[in-house]
Amino acid sequence: MTQPPDQSRSSSGSRSPVAAHPVLSAVIAVLIIACIAGTLFVPIYASTTPKVGDFPFFYFYLLAYMPVVAVVLWIVVQLQKRLDPSGGQPANPGEAVTK
Amino acid sequence: MSNVNVTTFAIVVILFVVVTGVGFAAVRWRRAEDMMHLNEWGLGGRGFGTFVTWFMLGGDVYTAYTYIAVPALVFGSGSIGFFAVSYTIMVYPIIIIFLPRLWSVSRVHNYITPADFIRGRYGSRGLSLAAAFTGIIALMPYIALQLVGIQAVLTVMGVGTSSTNTFVKDLPLFIAFGVLAIFTYVSGLRAPAAISFIKDTLVYVMVIVAVFYIPTRLGGWGHIFGTAEAHFTSVNPATKKPYGTFIPTSGVTGSTQLDFATLALGSAIALFLYPHTITATLASKRRYVVKRNTALLPVYSILLGLIALLGYMALTDKSTAAKVKKADNAQLAVPYLFQHMFSSWFAGVAFAAIIIGALVPAAIMAIAAANLFTRNIFTEFFKPDASPRLQTKVSQWASFVAKIGALYFAIELPHTFAINLQLLGGVWILQLAPMLIGGLFTRWFDRYALLLGWLAGMAFGTIAAYKSATPTVSHWASSSDIELGHTVYIGLSAVIINLIITVILTVIFRAAKVPQGADETLPHQYTADPADLPAPTPAGIGLGTAEAGAAAELPSLPSHPGHQ
Repeated sequence: MTQPPDQSRSSSGSRSPVAAHPVLSAVIAVLIIACIAGTLFVPIYASTTPKVGDFPFFYFYLLAYMPVVAVVLWIVVQLQKRLDPSGGQPANPGEAVTK
Repeated sequence: MSNVNVTTFAIVVILFVVVTGVGFAAVRWRRAEDMMHLNEWGLGGRGFGTFVTWFMLGGDVYTAYTYIAVPALVFGSGSIGFFAVSYTIMVYPIIIIFLPRLWSVSRVHNYITPADFIRGRYGSRGLSLAAAFTGIIALMPYIALQLVGIQAVLTVMGVGTSSTNTFVKDLPLFIAFGVLAIFTYVSGLRAPAAISFIKDTLVYVMVIVAVFYIPTRLGGWGHIFGTAEAHFTSVNPATKKPYGTFIPTSGVTGSTQLDFATLALGSAIALFLYPHTITATLASKRRYVVKRNTALLPVYSILLGLIALLGYMALTDKSTAAKVKKADNAQLAVPYLFQHMFSSWFAGVAFAAIIIGALVPAAIMAIAAANLFTRNIFTEFFKPDASPRLQTKVSQWASFVAKIGALYFAIELPHTFAINLQLLGGVWILQLAPMLIGGLFTRWFDRYALLLGWLAGMAFGTIAAYKSATPTVSHWASSSDIELGHTVYIGLSAVIINLIITVILTVIFRAAKVPQGADETLPHQYTADPADLPAPTPAGIGLGTAEAGAAAELPSLPSHPGHQ
């Protein structure tokens, strides 16, 4: 899903960033999928025990998972910058994009 | 108005007046040369940075649904309500996949609504109309739900007279919404963007105080979870089943885990298909702003987890639980809890936070619905040569009409109806996933196949939701039903049916060489990051795009003397 079919026939002339950095792209994909899977597969956290403080595990996990996702996605954003140096950077004046 | 607490009421009124002032003053914020353009009125100049976008998206995504409906569900059914927490976790890794692409292509082509993109990508007015129609009918009950949330707070405050005349009884709601409608008309998206700073601050203060202070009054978290566990595992004598689930259950007793997971996944995919969240996204100035916010917004979501726990606190506080049961309205759980737990001045702050927290998204939703109407119905089908000025005027009035419609919804129809429709709205909006998310990655799908898949998904979802029943409720009982022996979210099963039909029909139509519409987008435009706003296009999108493109490349074309 992260690799759009369109990019293979990209008209921009250069190789698509995904094809140019297969390892980095795979790492990004794994991180994103892990973020989703960690909360999609309910059985891994649907239990009362172990309790963390007064919090049953189910509630502790959901609250603690949120900042973890924030950190992982921040890493993903940084990795994507390396994937495609032209995109995703503040200092990028006047990249003329017209048809 | 005999039992109104004067201090609480005064605080709410003062904060509301402040917000109104900010709403009107917002028209001067980042003042545009010409406000009468949808890029200005409808998208706030498309120039918001990371900071403003974070506040606005946070203010947009977390609505009365978050503050009132989620704790109400937790209060009534237990752990299943926490699907909302799982969903706000999942939403960010999902949108990081497709949202930057939507921003880029919309920026390059000056798309203002998601239906503009559908129009440009597939060259299909019918598909674009389907997307606009879905967006508008999904937003109307969502706006109405914001009003229901405000009403819940006003009811607990004791504001509103006992008059049987609807107009007199709901006068405070009329005033609040009237003021909102006027400053949205004047300031456009700048108003909710500016107010979201106040909203988010108030909500943060409210939640932090609530989760640190209230447990100390209720005997600590251990007691709160203990009470909830005891309640939800005990058997309801009326239905002979437990009241709810304290932890999502698995196995033979009826699994709620799959229900939990599909509700979370479906809602997460749906959230950024809603026009109002896309509106707030397109208002940001650069692609990296969108990306960064996918990593920064989860910080906001921690709030939601804590807000959901307010449902258990309301259950633990005997006085609140009794009042809610007496009123037979779980929506009142949070307002009653605050009224009972907080001193009257802080209850005022908390109530104001909820009211303002409902007004901000309501304003953005009305703007998004108005833009859809203007761009994809009015301009597309009735007045293709509408000037930017006329389009903005139409949008301003349409936002007004959208709010009046929602007001009618909230006052005239039973509240359960608004909530059911909002659930249905989620099912409906999810049916845009194949054409919108799919379209951002591939042009393989056939436009007619997408239209028929959409129709099938809408029909299946609506009928399944209608038929959903419990022993006590005959229709619209829940947003989940049983498919292949498992309880799953209707929206997700509907979109799977939608996708299967789309794929099969695409194969058939491609084999039959059905003509494909023109695609005005190019692959590199999905990753583009233009710093400057695209030149305003005077006419409706997609109309004679080839010529418009040529004219853009040759701005001094002599055949366009009056242009530029």
